[in-house]
Amino acid sequence: MTICSAPFTELGRTQASALGHADLPIAVIPHPFGLRSREEVRRIAEQCVADIARLVCESAAGEAARAAAPASARSGRIEAPVDLDEFNRFCRACGWSDGLPLVPPTVERVEATLRHTRRARDEVIAAVAPGFGAASVEHIAANAVMAGCEPEYLPILIAAVEALADPAFNLQGIQATTNPATPWLIVNGPIARDLGINGGLNCLGQGAWANATIGRALRLILQNVGGARPGEMDRATHGQPGKYTFCCAENEAENPWEPLHVERGFARDSSTVTVVGASGTLNMNSHAKEATDLLRAIADTMAFPLSNDYYFGGEPWVILSPEHAEILKREGLGKSDVKRRLWEQSRFAAGRFAAKDRARVQHIRRAELGTIDANTLVPASPGADGIGIVVAGGPGTHSVYVPTFGVTRAVTRAVTIES
Amino acid sequence: MTGNAMIFEPTAATRNTPQPLRRALDGLEGKVVGFIDNVKPNFHFLVDDLAELLIGKYGVSSVIRHRKRTASVPAPEDIIADVTRQCDLVITGSGD
Repeated sequence: MTICSAPFTELGRTQASALGHADLPIAVIPHPFGLRSREEVRRIAEQCVADIARLVCESAAGEAARAAAPASARSGRIEAPVDLDEFNRFCRACGWSDGLPLVPPTVERVEATLRHTRRARDEVIAAVAPGFGAASVEHIAANAVMAGCEPEYLPILIAAVEALADPAFNLQGIQATTNPATPWLIVNGPIARDLGINGGLNCLGQGAWANATIGRALRLILQNVGGARPGEMDRATHGQPGKYTFCCAENEAENPWEPLHVERGFARDSSTVTVVGASGTLNMNSHAKEATDLLRAIADTMAFPLSNDYYFGGEPWVILSPEHAEILKREGLGKSDVKRRLWEQSRFAAGRFAAKDRARVQHIRRAELGTIDANTLVPASPGADGIGIVVAGGPGTHSVYVPTFGVTRAVTRAVTIES
Repeated sequence: MTGNAMIFEPTAATRNTPQPLRRALDGLEGKVVGFIDNVKPNFHFLVDDLAELLIGKYGVSSVIRHRKRTASVPAPEDIIADVTRQCDLVITGSGD
């Protein structure tokens, strides 16, 4: 059985059901539980133990009907209003919307999208946490249409869903957490140019159809197939604007080093998508002209004591603008040199953590760091290779820090163009 | 425009197979209870108190305690194997 505080009970119940254990007993305790005094915890325990004793002795037979039956891998077809306003009201009532208007996934539109892959329409690409909905090619195509994607974007979304399902990404944690984390998609290779995915000016902002709709389609898949609806299984305290869409290309033309996909073992002429469990973005504006000066300032910015990367030993990312990357390259630094210096210089003394958070770090990272005292230098990642570097953006003296969920690792998958 | 048109549903059900129903216990007396602490704040205190109450008031024979490294990852296989081998009832912390 499990114990949940009240706002997390529905998450526990829904997920247990999705995993085939609809009869899992749940004892509910008051929220916020973590702020209770020791005496309050004792009083809660006295009630909770009675609930435990009762729940585990109750027969589960009455719960059997709630167990889910295996689903078809095909997307269902239903009738929906043709009128766009009515269609969108219908979608809102069904819980399918991200809060913005949707494009009807008509048979014609979805079929046109499906022509951009040779994979079978009923092939299940992944079971998407936390509801473990089976994302078939058809489901991915339907959500792509609803987000406004051009049909040829489909292979990127298939690769992205494959990447999200890699256990290293920890989609379960990212989907159900109170943290604002969301997948950030980085597209590399010829497909970025061919489809007009922006890696230059305003690449994380508005204006590029591909960036906007590919990121949005992934969010719809996470919500509609994965079941992570806000207030239900998506438990984000605030969320972040990147949960609407968060997709860009790398600016390979102005990257002085090897592009991200080559660094990660793919051929230069291949196309890939990389997913990062991003908690947000922080702009870093610097007129520094020397590598040492610039890296020190970036490292200082990375080092903040309320960061999941530092709690867990994560994998924070830096999006270097072409101008900042050029400063580093000009002084002879390779990407691994930059990672090493950022990793070393962004360590900070454990005394900067709140006391409770320092105790957390001690528990979580003991095997890596040993016993921590106030002067122990804590790195953002277990090793320098855990610092992610990508070059993107247009002219300007701005780079971007992308802290992550911490208990996640970026995953890259090849995009297969088959049409 | 009025009327309806056929669309593809964007939602997908799980294909996980329903598992056998759990067995209800006939009481807690003499049972071994395992806890998997999700390391959320105060949960270890709750486990302390529940362990004491389960043994003192309900006759549980022993309590086995494990702590995960962090809440947002599954319990590792060695913990699962240990509680599976030893326990009649396993209680986890979930969410906050």
